[in-house]
Amino acid sequence: MSTTLTPTLSQLETPAAKAQAIRCVDCDVHQSVGLGQFREYMPQPFKRMAESGCAPGHLGLYNPIGVTRPDTIEADGKPAASKPDGLARMLLEPYGIDVALLTGGVYGFSSHPDPDYAAAVCSAYNTYMIEHWLPKDPRFRLAINVATQDPLLAAQEIERVGAHPGVSAVVISSATQHPLGQRTYHPMYAAAEKMGLPFCLHPGHEGTGITNAPTAAGYPTRYLEWHTGISCTFQAHLVSMVCEGVFQKFPELKIVLVEGGISWLAPLLWRFDKNWKALRSTVPWLTRPPSETIQGRVFMTTQPIEEPPEHGQLKQLFEMFDAEKMLLYSSDFPHWDGDTPDYVVRGFSETFKRRVLAENAIELFGL
Amino acid sequence: MTAVSAPTRTKHEVAKAADLPPGARKIVKAGRFQIGVFNVNGQYRAVLNICPHELAPVCKGPVRGTMLPSKVGEYTWGCDGEILSCPWHGWEFNLHDGKSLHDPKCHLKTFEVLVEEGTVFVLV
Repeated sequence: MSTTLTPTLSQLETPAAKAQAIRCVDCDVHQSVGLGQFREYMPQPFKRMAESGCAPGHLGLYNPIGVTRPDTIEADGKPAASKPDGLARMLLEPYGIDVALLTGGVYGFSSHPDPDYAAAVCSAYNTYMIEHWLPKDPRFRLAINVATQDPLLAAQEIERVGAHPGVSAVVISSATQHPLGQRTYHPMYAAAEKMGLPFCLHPGHEGTGITNAPTAAGYPTRYLEWHTGISCTFQAHLVSMVCEGVFQKFPELKIVLVEGGISWLAPLLWRFDKNWKALRSTVPWLTRPPSETIQGRVFMTTQPIEEPPEHGQLKQLFEMFDAEKMLLYSSDFPHWDGDTPDYVVRGFSETFKRRVLAENAIELFGL
Repeated sequence: MTAVSAPTRTKHEVAKAADLPPGARKIVKAGRFQIGVFNVNGQYRAVLNICPHELAPVCKGPVRGTMLPSKVGEYTWGCDGEILSCPWHGWEFNLHDGKSLHDPKCHLKTFEVLVEEGTVFVLV
């Protein structure tokens, strides 16, 4: 397949022509980039902090499989995802992925105690990615990373690099100090809306550093519990964003829940709508039920796709909300819990496949 | 009624036995199959290089032991060198019978292995 496919997209005028040219958009690709590669872009004293190894903490939970898939470590001992051509060879070409949203990254620095350091890391990382990765493959798009300790600094960073044509989104860690709807965070949303960038939440550092416990019940014992519980944090953030009026205050803002699970959405919305009918007066700016408020505003990536005992149950579940319009394919490459495109959409209609593999992302990210 | 003859299997050379010591593996093409042949503590085992979950190249995953079923709070290591773990999602398979450790219905396709005059063959 041609690696010069995406530059021609701007010449394709109709959405239908674009949809035909893009077979699959992968909305969560973790290229592997280390602090050592981009610390040169950091001013002092942050460069010295990076040199000394200041990094987000780690809960120390044990994943016997390892986070990076062992078969993606190449003969030279380096991860395929650490090289643009490795990513193309192991992910984009075998699966016909025509656009890859590079999520990275360094969003985990939101758990670091020092807001200035975290902002400097994200800023240097974004510059490095724009200069060293985006030019390497026209299929790459960047989700810029910002840290959430100081939302004003995050907003500045979004405005600094958000206009670059290769930048298609903003991504933060879902591990935070507060529910993400609260007004302290609103400057980030204002900046993302202004720059026309969908705003993504990505898990991975829940319970580390200065962030909240990884579950509402506290710190679990094992990685299995921690990983299963990630969805609960996403639920809390979504409920907060709806109730705090984020979708009213920022009418063009789009939120993408990356890797937070899918199957919980419909029953959560039933409960949420029921409560809203009684308690609407506490959130009078919510003039429509929560389930309607998020329509066209909230998207979810598919990985790790849930696997009920009968595949038909997944289909039933996807009929309980507007899955065809809300879901975006994601591989999470090269992590241990990734999904291939054919696996995610197997057994679904051709329309569903097209929407989830490409068309929803084409529209959302303005590809 | 027509007699049905037993399906004939073909011998495919894998490696010299000396080149496949305990703990070693080789992935070979045998007919239409890609097969991983493993020396499991001195016994040769062969499985299809396709994971039944998302069709990953399962034979590229690590081989090790695992924790055996136990009482709450107890950990018992066992099956050392017998458990193949898929490189994508970590599903564990016992190389002796191809069965997964999480669901007896979920298994890898297995093949018979022969050793003749110092050469390892897989029967397909």
